[in-house]
Amino acid sequence: MSKILAVDDSASMRQMVAFTLKGGGFDVVEACDGVEALALAKQHKCDLVLADVNMPNMDGITLTRELRTLNDYKYTPILVLTTESGTDRKTEGKKAGATGWIVKPFNPDQLLNTIKKVME
Amino acid sequence: MINSKAELDVPQSPPVIPGFENINRYWDKKLKVHAAKLMPGELYVSMHGEMVVTVLGSCVAACIRDKVKGIGGMNHFMLPQETENSQNFAGTAHDVETRYGNWAMESLINEVLKRGGRRGYLEVKLFGGGKVMENMSDVGERNIDFVRRFLVEEGLKIVAEDLGGLRPRKILYFSDTGACRVRRLNQVVNNTVFSREKEYAKKVAGPATDGSIELF
Repeated sequence: MSKILAVDDSASMRQMVAFTLKGGGFDVVEACDGVEALALAKQHKCDLVLADVNMPNMDGITLTRELRTLNDYKYTPILVLTTESGTDRKTEGKKAGATGWIVKPFNPDQLLNTIKKVME
Repeated sequence: MINSKAELDVPQSPPVIPGFENINRYWDKKLKVHAAKLMPGELYVSMHGEMVVTVLGSCVAACIRDKVKGIGGMNHFMLPQETENSQNFAGTAHDVETRYGNWAMESLINEVLKRGGRRGYLEVKLFGGGKVMENMSDVGERNIDFVRRFLVEEGLKIVAEDLGGLRPRKILYFSDTGACRVRRLNQVVNNTVFSREKEYAKKVAGPATDGSIELF
């Protein structure tokens, strides 16, 4: 079963994302900020990372940058799931090495389809 | 053209936070304060103590501010009406139906935090969720259940609330001090509240008009 690392500082959002992903047949590892996510990413070999942007301790863009320095995560799809729709942040995300940018509110089917697409 | 004295007396609005340019902002002559008026589905955050105003029927508005820094704002949302296919979101975690509520709450909190607010200093007040629309399931109650559950999950405490009931409300929220005024409205004269909410209800019930997806 493919494993997804879901990172969000909002507990409700984490639950909602995990619920959707599990429903789509994925194994889910949850983290509440970039620091925790980075530690978990080293413990588990995740097949995809789904990260929020605005988080305490380490934001999603820094997390993406950090993950790209790890051998295990050089080519792993990293999707950003955020309320941020501004192009500046999006460009930053792209530069950091993100695979795609999803603006909330997300449609569960669309999210799953996108995940499947980038994991192919 | 010569401006009238009254127009010249209107002070310039404080700078708007990017993303909120579309919100209707004005100078409230009576209270002598800068104000922003929210329609269903909108949210607004101010760093300059602007007053945020909205009128609620069965929709809910959360007012959230950092009580130390005085950065705060309000959202205004509702969940779609319950249908036969609805899952009970209270029982089965989260389905599609809570996404607008989740978005409204998360966006408001994020915006306050992004402007320098701290999670530990957040103060939450809740309004609305009336049973004011005829021939509609009690969507107000659903909105109230949702927002309470959301705040419990996030570990945020509600310091004041005025929820439920049969009459629409007008809310004035002062984003720096957290003070608020609630005026109960007469149902009959306020048809615009219902038509706006019905319009918004259609939007949240319809197929997802969701955020975009871009693959790099």
